[in-house]
Parts: sequence; structure tokens; C-alpha cells
Amino acid sequence: MSETNHLPVATETLKSVLSHLLPAGADDGDLYLEHTCSESLALEEGRVKHVSASTHQGLGARVIKGEAAGHAFTDRLDTKALMQAARSARAIAECGTNPAPIAIHNERPAPKLYQAINPATGVEFSTRKGLLERLDTLARSLDPRVQQVFANVSSSFSDIHIVRMDGAHIHDARPLVRLNISVVVEQDGKRETGSAGGGGRFSLDRMMQGEEAERLVKEAVRLALLNLDAHAAPAGSMPVVLGPGWPGILLHEAIGHGLEGDFNRKGTSVFSDKLGQQVAAKGITVVDDGTIKERRGSLTVDDEGSPTTRTVLIEDGILTGYLMDRQNARLMGMHSTGNGRRQSYSHPVLPRMTNTFMLAGPDNPDDIIASLDRGIYAVNFGGGQVDITSGKFVFTTSEAYYVENGKIQHPVKGATLIGAGHEVLQQVSMIGNDLALDPGVGTCGKGGQSVPVGVGLPSIRIDDLTVGGTES
Amino acid sequence: MNRVANQLIELAIKAGATHADALAICDTGDSISIRNGAVESVEREDAQGMGLRAFVETAKGLAFATASTSDMSDQGLKQLAEQVIAMARISEPDPDAVPPVGAEHPTDTELADWSKQHPDNGCGWNLEQAKAAALECEELARSYSEQISNSEGSDASFGSSQIAYASSDGFAAEYGRSSASLSVSVIAGTGEGMRRDYAWHRALHADKLRHPKLIAEEAAERAVNSLNPISMQSGETHVIFEPRIATSLLGHLSSAINGRSVLHQTSFLGDSNGEIIFPDFVSIADNPNHPDGLGNRLFDGEGTKCSPRTIIESGRLTGFLTDRYAAKRLDLPTTGSARRGLTGDIGIGPSNLIWQAGELDQAEMLQEIGNGLLITELIGFGINGVTGDYSRGAAGFLIKDGKITAPVQGITIAGNLKDMFANISHVGSDQTWFGSSAAPSIAISGMTVAA
Repeated sequence: MSETNHLPVATETLKSVLSHLLPAGADDGDLYLEHTCSESLALEEGRVKHVSASTHQGLGARVIKGEAAGHAFTDRLDTKALMQAARSARAIAECGTNPAPIAIHNERPAPKLYQAINPATGVEFSTRKGLLERLDTLARSLDPRVQQVFANVSSSFSDIHIVRMDGAHIHDARPLVRLNISVVVEQDGKRETGSAGGGGRFSLDRMMQGEEAERLVKEAVRLALLNLDAHAAPAGSMPVVLGPGWPGILLHEAIGHGLEGDFNRKGTSVFSDKLGQQVAAKGITVVDDGTIKERRGSLTVDDEGSPTTRTVLIEDGILTGYLMDRQNARLMGMHSTGNGRRQSYSHPVLPRMTNTFMLAGPDNPDDIIASLDRGIYAVNFGGGQVDITSGKFVFTTSEAYYVENGKIQHPVKGATLIGAGHEVLQQVSMIGNDLALDPGVGTCGKGGQSVPVGVGLPSIRIDDLTVGGTES
Repeated sequence: MNRVANQLIELAIKAGATHADALAICDTGDSISIRNGAVESVEREDAQGMGLRAFVETAKGLAFATASTSDMSDQGLKQLAEQVIAMARISEPDPDAVPPVGAEHPTDTELADWSKQHPDNGCGWNLEQAKAAALECEELARSYSEQISNSEGSDASFGSSQIAYASSDGFAAEYGRSSASLSVSVIAGTGEGMRRDYAWHRALHADKLRHPKLIAEEAAERAVNSLNPISMQSGETHVIFEPRIATSLLGHLSSAINGRSVLHQTSFLGDSNGEIIFPDFVSIADNPNHPDGLGNRLFDGEGTKCSPRTIIESGRLTGFLTDRYAAKRLDLPTTGSARRGLTGDIGIGPSNLIWQAGELDQAEMLQEIGNGLLITELIGFGINGVTGDYSRGAAGFLIKDGKITAPVQGITIAGNLKDMFANISHVGSDQTWFGSSAAPSIAISGMTVAA
């Protein structure tokens, strides 16, 4: 589908639904219409066995009054279902209907950060299948210990229409692609796994060009083989050096969630009321930037129609900003930072991150590793989680090394690292000059909703972090 | 619902499928959140969708694809059928593919008996009743102690689903399912000393929900008790997983005995069929027909009849969970464990996992352990399913001389699931249900704590 900018429901119908939705005295409200097509091909045991597609469409209606919000979600786009949804959503405000009909007008669009074209356009299923088969052959040819190869290529295209209570109509069309490889290797009866992935808001065609797919296969095989030789990780607190790129998940968990507007308005985050205070070592600047072209975490406009922005969260160690949607911004006397996001029309809007990263510092990455007397150098991670109230966060290594006297000794098994968000960045003593963003694989969960995000980090040294290994 | 599912099968056959099966789901649900005594949000959902799996005969054998849509118009269904056939034609045939024919479906009598045994009388709440429960629960949690400083609110939700399955071999059945749930989360302490905890319950009917007062007291007591944590030493220790944490072990077990994982060599239990993997006092069942189970089902995602099974019998693994494909490949019986959503391929999962209770209550278990750690919370995803390596963030309480003492936080516990299963020293009598799984307290020796 190419960009139409046409509403999937007649404007006249929407006008009456909107008028029906918004009672006198509501602070805000909107209609959110979505049509998403997704396609996925998966290879296992040398065959592309799983081909699937889905089409999801529906409407989310929302009314906001003070701290309260009424939501209704429906998959049925007939007038009766839409009116019922509007009635359910406005029940929250318990007032009469707005007497004046609301005229719908197109809002001037924000500069587009990605092409409004279905990313699968022009790439035949057979071409995608051919790619996965090639990657399977490559993985098996790299090392005889490769036993299993799983490869998946997926794409989706979401056509979003937001109609605000003042009648402003905002349209966004969002492509998203993803390629994932994982392998299982076996040696002397011992098995290990490694995986790699990449993607973003661009065409499948581009994802398939160049050497990127081949690089991901090599990376997955390298990680799996490396883990065959991994020793037990140490247990206890010690200095940890994080490598550049995906280890930025540290920021996402330790800082990002705790700075989301809802938690801070309610005073449930350990960062509540800390604006202007020193929360990180000097020299640390952390931003959330939804405006980077074609990144997985980027959006031209958020799910409330606000253009995304670059928000400085921490500047030279000082807490300078929160991530805001419209409701929390209004209640806190601030402005939306374009971080109001929802997984789909059938989920409520929450303040969420986009691409969260730390700016580069002065140090040479080799010097940072060399500074470790005894500690861990962690290059790659799986998932993480945070308790925003206590600030305790975890993230789990998938590629890490034990370092002694400044020299890398051996790889260590996956270990969970645990720290406190309000303490960990105070412990950063070196910042590398090698900022990198992740390859486009992040998915963030909050309140049961998943949204694509990005992270980034230069190499950093944290003087003290608890490493959850088994070697005392 | 069955009519739509059958209509879709017909369309698929007309478009060229040799076999097809379809799932149709309609969900309606409401939820209300109360925070600081006022309504914070009201949500109403009205969802529908169809999933279709179709097989086609190609020059190289039988191939299939799956597709789903929420557009249930005639046009939407026709498009879905045509799309899935086109995709199946490019999919690679699998000589072991199992088309939806010849499955052991439940009989008409069994279907009728099931409906009598599990009548869908709705969930027993309307929005006003749910609101009253959430208001009461939040109020009681906030007023439990002066140390409760803030609230993340109380949520009450309820809803019903209608699920229909039809296949081209002539089987068609549908059933309804309802549930209600109530939860609350509160914060004790202030500033950097703030601690949050929660409690929840979900049941098939509002009448079966725990009283709001019990849920409120549990959440508030947990939050208050976790204030002022002390630090501890790293090292090897005996731990007790509370029931709400012990259910996570059931999750790891069911992933590891998933027939797909075994086929793909991604399970650390892949070679353990028939082996003793727990002490002899551990028994675990997969029961699709339990009065309290949120995971009840008469047939699975391929229309195969589900029956209660013992997964772990006196410590021994009795078999893997299979759908028809995994069963064929592994040369094992089908366990009726095909799990299917609207989108994507069929997966495998248990119905209700039930860890049989032991004989010791918590106080007796603490006495038996003497010194160690009571784990009340786990965070993070540090589980390697291929090797069983385990490392997660944790919080809980120190156990000293058989008594619960001070809270500890910001620690990790680590080990290997195979060793953890084998090193279970005690099973509690306090079996508790959480959704579709039930577990008692579980004590495990020899885990490493990092602090």
C-alpha cells in the first residue's frame, strides 16, 4: 500500500463520532485509526517452513479529563460500533455531549523520517525465501559445529490516522523490518546458542542489499562458538566495562523508564522531584531522540500526533528532562516531548522511550578495558528489567569476558548484572569516544504493551556493579 | 462463530487448499483503574479475529501457510483465503507436515458434557461492581499502615471470549470463557527508600476472587516489610521460592519439555525423557480440566482432545509436550498441547500446570532450612534454555535460625536449572493458584547469591 492519506472511515461518520465522543469539559481526546499488515518468513532445519501474514485494523477512542482517561477499542469499523466505542470512552467524564459538530482538517505534517511505502513492496516472497536459504547455507559452511540455524525475516506497515478533539487530522505511515538469525552449535555433547539481528524503518529491499545479512550470520555463529568456551561468571560486586552500542540497554532500564512522565507525575519513580539534581557523574549526557532517520525507535509523530523530539534527559550529570505524553505534560505544567506511544489502537497511550543513548566522551576504549584490575568486560546483552520505584534494574550478558590486570582472560557465561538507577551513573569513571547505536532490534515492554525502541552507548567503565555469576 | 470458521474453510478449499483449519475469536472486556480513591482509567475492548492455516499440494509435497485478519467482512475473509493459498504455494514442503485430518477430536458427547461442566455464565461483574471492588481494595491497601506513602492504583477487569475452531475434516466446536481479576500495587517509604509491592488474583468468575481486603493486605504488608533492606554476603545459600515465584520454575520446565525445543535441540532437557530430574517427592501435572484453572480447554489448537497428564511423576519426566507435528517427528504420543493464536504458526504449551503440594507449612520449612534466603521477587530474563544456566535479579528476606529476618534487595541468584531441579530439598503445603498455574513454596539448596 502506498500513502493515501485517506481515512479508512468516511469523514462525515468520523465527524459525528468525534462530536459524540467529546463531552463538554473534557481536557483532551482523540480517535486513533490503524491498519497494519505484517508478513513473516521463518526458516528452520534448512527449510522455509513458516510463512505467515496478518492484517489488523481498528479504532481506539479516548477521552481525558484531569487525571482520568476513558478508552474504547474496537475492531469493527461500522458506524454503530464506532458510536458505541465513543459512548464507552466518554462515560468517564459523566457530562453531556458537545453540541457543536467538529470540523476535521489536515494538520501540516512533520518532516518525514521514513518512506510511506510498505517495506515488502517489490520483494517477492521467493526472494525473501532465497535470502533465508542462503543464510542457512552460509551459517553451516562457517563451522561444522553448527547444528541448527533459525532465520526469520519480517516486515510490517502501519497506516495511522489520529483525529484530535479540535478536529486536527494527523497521518503517519510506518514501515518496519527485521532480520534475525540464531544458531545452535554442539561440541563434545555440549550445546550453546548465539543470535544476531538488525532492522529499522526502511525497505526490505535495502535490508537485503550489501553484506549486512551475511554479517549477522557470522556474528551469530561467532557468539555461539565463543559461549562453548565460556567459564562460569564471577559472583559479587566489581568494576564492569560496557562495550558500545546495544549495552545502552543499561540506560533504557536504569534511567529511561524512571524518567517517564507518568511515574514522575505520580511520584512513584526514584527520580521523582530530582530535576536539576546531580544524578550521574560529570561528563555524562543522555538523550532520547525520536528524530533519527529510519531508526527502529524513531517516529515522525508519536501516537498522539505530536512530532517527536530530541530530549536531553541528563546533561553533564544533571537531570534535565522527563519523557512526556500530552496528559502527563498538562498535569505537570510541561510540554509533550513526543513520547506518547501505544502498541496499537487497542492499547492506551503511555509515555515511552524512542532511541535512548549517551553521548560520546574523551576516552580511548582500549584504555577503558586496560583500566580493569579484576572485572567484567560486557559487549552484548539479552533483555533487562527495572523496578522504577526502588530503581533496581537488571540486564543479562550474552557476550562477556573476565578481565585481570587489564587483559581479557576468557569469555564468561551469561550473568545478570544488577544495580540501582540513581546510583549506577554516579559510578561511571570513564566514557569512550566510540558512541554506537544498536543494530535495530530493541523492543520495550511496559504495562503489557510492546513498542520498538533503540539504544546506544559509548564504551564506559562502571566502578561497582553486582555480577550474578556462580563463581564465588 | 462456527459459521464464520466453516465459511473460511470453504473459501480456502475453493481457493485451492487440500486441507485447512481455522480459529475465530471474539473478545469483549472491561477494566477500571482506581488511584487515590478516584477513577484513573476505564477501558472497553471489543475485538474479533480469524486465523487460517491452509495446506496445498505442490510438486514437491504438502506445504502450508498461516494468515489472520480482524476484518471479518465477506471481502476480508475472501482476501484472507486467497492470501494464505498464495503464501502456501511458496512455502517449502515438509515431508512430516501434519494436515488437519485424523486428529483425535472430542466426541459430541464429550463436547456436551464439557459445556455442562464448564457453563459460561459470564464473569459475574458489571462495571459498577468492578469499580466497587477496586475502590475497596485500593482504599484498604492505602490505609493499611502509615508507612504506605503512595499508590500505583488498583485494577479490576473482567471479560469473555468466544473461541471457535473448525477443520476441513468436518470437526467444528466452540466454547466460551470468562474471567475476572483484581490487583493492587502500593508504595511504602519515601525518596530513595521507596519500595513497591503488589498482589493480584484472577479467577473464572468474580465470585471466586479472593476478597479485596485480602489482596489489599497482602500488597501493603509486602511493601511495608520490604522497607530498610540490609546488605548481605555473596556466596552459596539455601533458598525458598514463595509460591508466586515458584510458578516461574513451572514456566522454565514447560519451555524445556516443549516438543519443538526438543526437536530443535534448544532444550537442556532434550535428552531427559523418562529420566529422574527431580527428587522423588516432586509431582507436577498438566491438567486441562480443573475447577480453578484459567487454562482449561477441551481441545487444543489442532482440535485434538486434551486430557489430564502427569508430567513429573515422583521426580521422573514422563514425556515431552507435543502437538501432532512434534509427536510425529519425536515418535511420541500427541499430548494435545498445540497452542495457537490468530497470528503465526502453531506452538506448544501446557494447559494448567499444577505442582503438587508437600506437607510442610512455611514455618516448618524455615525451621528445616535454618539459614538461607526467602525469595519474594525475581526480575530479568537471565535464563539460557539451551544450557539451563540461570541468573536473575532477586529480592527477599534473610532466614536466620529458622526465622524470617531483615529484607535484602539488589541481589542476584544463580545456578543451573538442571541442578536446581535436582537440588529441591522441600516442597511446601501452601499451594497457590496464579492464573493457569499453581505452585507451593519450593526450597532449593546450593544456589549462588551475589550481593
